[in-house]
Amino acid sequence: MDKSLTWKVGLIVAVIALSIFLLYPPKDKINLGLDLKGGMHLIMEVMTDEALAIQTDMSATQLRGLLKDGSIKYDKVARKGFNKIEITGTLLDDERKIKDILDDDFRDWAYTVGGSLISLSLRPNIEQQLRDQSVDQALETIRNRVDEFGVAEPTIQKEGLAGDKILIELPGIDNPERVKGLIKSTAMLEFHLVASGPFLTEEAALQEYKGQLPDDLEIVRTNPRRMDKGFYVLKAATAVPGKDLKSARRAQDEYGAPAVGFSFNSQGSAQFERFTAANIGKPLSIVLDDRIESVATIQDVIAGDGIIHGRFTIDEVDDLVLVLRSGALPAPLKYIEERTIGPSLGADSIRKGLAAALGGLVLVVLFMLVYYRAAGINSVLALLLNMLILMGIMAYFHATLSMPGIAGIILSIGMAVDANVLIFERIREELAAGKSPKSAIDAGFKKAFWTIFDANLTTVISAVFLFQFGTGPIKGFAVTLIIGIVASMFTAIFVSRVIFELTYGRRKKLTRISI
Amino acid sequence: MLKIFKEVPKIRFINKRFIAFALSGLIILGGVAVFLTRGFNWGIDFSGGTLIEVAFQQPTPINQLRGALAKINLGDAQITRIGSENKFFIKTLASLKKLNLGAGEKMEEIEEYEIVAREIRRGLMDEEARVQAQAGKLDLNNSAEGEIARFLRDKGVADEDAQESARLIIGLRKSGSGIIGDFSALEKAGVKHRVIDRLRSEAFFSKFTFLSVEFVGPQVGKELRRKAMLACIWALIGMLIYIGFRFKFLYGLSGILTLAHDVLVSLSFILFFRVEMSLQVIAALLTIVGYSINDTIVVFDRLRDNLKIMKKDNLEAILDMSLNQTLSRSIFTSLTVLLTVLSLFFFGGEVIRPFAFTMLVGVIAGSYSTIYQSCAWLKVWENYFLKRKKS
Repeated sequence: MDKSLTWKVGLIVAVIALSIFLLYPPKDKINLGLDLKGGMHLIMEVMTDEALAIQTDMSATQLRGLLKDGSIKYDKVARKGFNKIEITGTLLDDERKIKDILDDDFRDWAYTVGGSLISLSLRPNIEQQLRDQSVDQALETIRNRVDEFGVAEPTIQKEGLAGDKILIELPGIDNPERVKGLIKSTAMLEFHLVASGPFLTEEAALQEYKGQLPDDLEIVRTNPRRMDKGFYVLKAATAVPGKDLKSARRAQDEYGAPAVGFSFNSQGSAQFERFTAANIGKPLSIVLDDRIESVATIQDVIAGDGIIHGRFTIDEVDDLVLVLRSGALPAPLKYIEERTIGPSLGADSIRKGLAAALGGLVLVVLFMLVYYRAAGINSVLALLLNMLILMGIMAYFHATLSMPGIAGIILSIGMAVDANVLIFERIREELAAGKSPKSAIDAGFKKAFWTIFDANLTTVISAVFLFQFGTGPIKGFAVTLIIGIVASMFTAIFVSRVIFELTYGRRKKLTRISI
Repeated sequence: MLKIFKEVPKIRFINKRFIAFALSGLIILGGVAVFLTRGFNWGIDFSGGTLIEVAFQQPTPINQLRGALAKINLGDAQITRIGSENKFFIKTLASLKKLNLGAGEKMEEIEEYEIVAREIRRGLMDEEARVQAQAGKLDLNNSAEGEIARFLRDKGVADEDAQESARLIIGLRKSGSGIIGDFSALEKAGVKHRVIDRLRSEAFFSKFTFLSVEFVGPQVGKELRRKAMLACIWALIGMLIYIGFRFKFLYGLSGILTLAHDVLVSLSFILFFRVEMSLQVIAALLTIVGYSINDTIVVFDRLRDNLKIMKKDNLEAILDMSLNQTLSRSIFTSLTVLLTVLSLFFFGGEVIRPFAFTMLVGVIAGSYSTIYQSCAWLKVWENYFLKRKKS
């Protein structure tokens, strides 16, 4: 064996060994997709506009405070849309002072002054940053909740071009309601002073204000599971934002009924203490995700702890504790896609996928052997190696094997031998043209190379577009197709050549080959 | 040596180009006609809605299913039997209003779909099962592993036993049709007696199982349709640029027309056979775009060589020669892929069949168009093509 052949064979052996190493044991290395093992697949959109609105509200509150501190007169500071604030009714004399405040403390905002109207709008880069942040935070919160709920091997990741969607895959869960409730609850716990109520209907509440609700008030419905159905009018300003919550736990109210206990962090405690001290004797509502959970009169100054009581079941207490603990979602979520695959369907798909793969392999192998005889063996070896490399690379990338992925593998069986067919046909032509077997093999490989390259590259191009377009399983298909094609370039062109050289290379006089 | 052609065949393809164009045109026109009258059979990926795959224990006539659904106002749900098995797809766009349930408050579409699915589950139950379900008992044929385990734990079964039993029950469902007949099957599977005793009073087996439930919100589909179309168009443009770069622009243009033909013919057959338009069908179309250009490239490659060698011949002869020389290759490369696609079509099961069908049509259309159309287009532009060659 000459030297160059030795290193070629060495390389092939190394590739085989590496693939086996990467793949072994296959049970641990190949991830099955949800469609094969069963489970739940959710795609949700983070409503980032609403996260911005909350942020803008907080800035507006801060602005009111600053204007008050600077004794600047104004009519109204109000949020417009989700990323704008308007200050109306300011005096011309105060313009300088207002500008100073805005320049110092509102650097994230661009503002324009038009007479007595000052409009602020969030700078676009800051807006994008806040949006990204809210998606990241939502991702983190969801991860915490899923972890606490105890699902094995969940997938939680960003999805979609805008990056505002979150994909959640939970294997082994096929009745999703409770999990979904858990994930979706924004767990925005807020405390609002009650202005009036309860009312039976929203209209009745509105009537109280002669049909025109002042800007600093809002009508909120009660959570009928906890208290009587109805509506309250609440002060819009929240006493303590939910993010200052430190922990939550299972608790009991004074009658021994299940309740949810919570405590604030130091900042929240201080704020809550100040707030309750200033409002003793007034009714306070606890609002979770825009529903009133309970209303109670502030009897005394409250600092760090409190409880939410109501008609809880133990399960409800546990779920609420879990979502409060994992932190509030920065924005509401909207489910846009949900797929639940039962365990038996997945098992069935695997069986059928294997049958189809085996069937395809056998048909192709038979065809190659019958038509190309000895050279057929060559291509079959190359094909088997191609499959091995494909699986090895998939294992290395922790690629997930889904039903479309299996289809991709089956297709690559057919496509991989294409290269062999192109080479063999070319060799036959060269032989027919009267070339010696050795130079025919040489010419066959050389002349077919660019054709094979072109052909494979076009398939890769469209697979890349497919990858870019597709969601989960379709991406899996595109990936297996691309890997299969790249591997086939190696096996059909390089490995197959080496096999020819090994079989025919040593013979001094080669008069005919079996092809 | 086994060969389909003893020597290079001398078939005259190019002079039949008008027949070929007419045939393809006819198929595509047929497709357009169906598209305009019936449109695509959109899968829920694109239309949004609810798709349920359900398997029954007993042979169930489709009318019985339709009757059960009609009782909950879902008589117009699309029901398709899967193969010859006792399995069905139920697809519906119905909202709550349709079910006369009247949403109590504003709900997201997905939440509505979920209630629809629950209603369908209830609607398919027989009287006995419905009573059991109403009593809060667990349906062991329609519960997940974690759910069964949690249920048992809540009923006071030791943690380990609960988990093992749940695993065994799911294992039983995985190995068979997905439906467990009665408690004796659990016994055989090795579920502990004390657990079975608990289950007897707390659980039941309905006569069917939901193999999968999918909901897709309406806004997803719109975006997806646009993206799918863009992906196909970009892939075609990608091919045009690549072939234009490797060969010349007119080759690229012919290649693209041939490809567009393959995609349109595949779409026509999808329309003729009411194959459901889903993501995997789009995947198949894009794969066809990438794949069926291959043998066109092989032909063009040979054509480029022949144009240098056969300077004296006219274009038609050169084109025919190139096609004939590459004919066995074109046939065989398609054949190997066709074999695997056939295997996928027949053995791969219902889930992947729309994909396999589209590939099947696409691969056949692809090799037909390579032979009868790719070069024929060049003949159509003969004057421009040869002028360019000379300059």
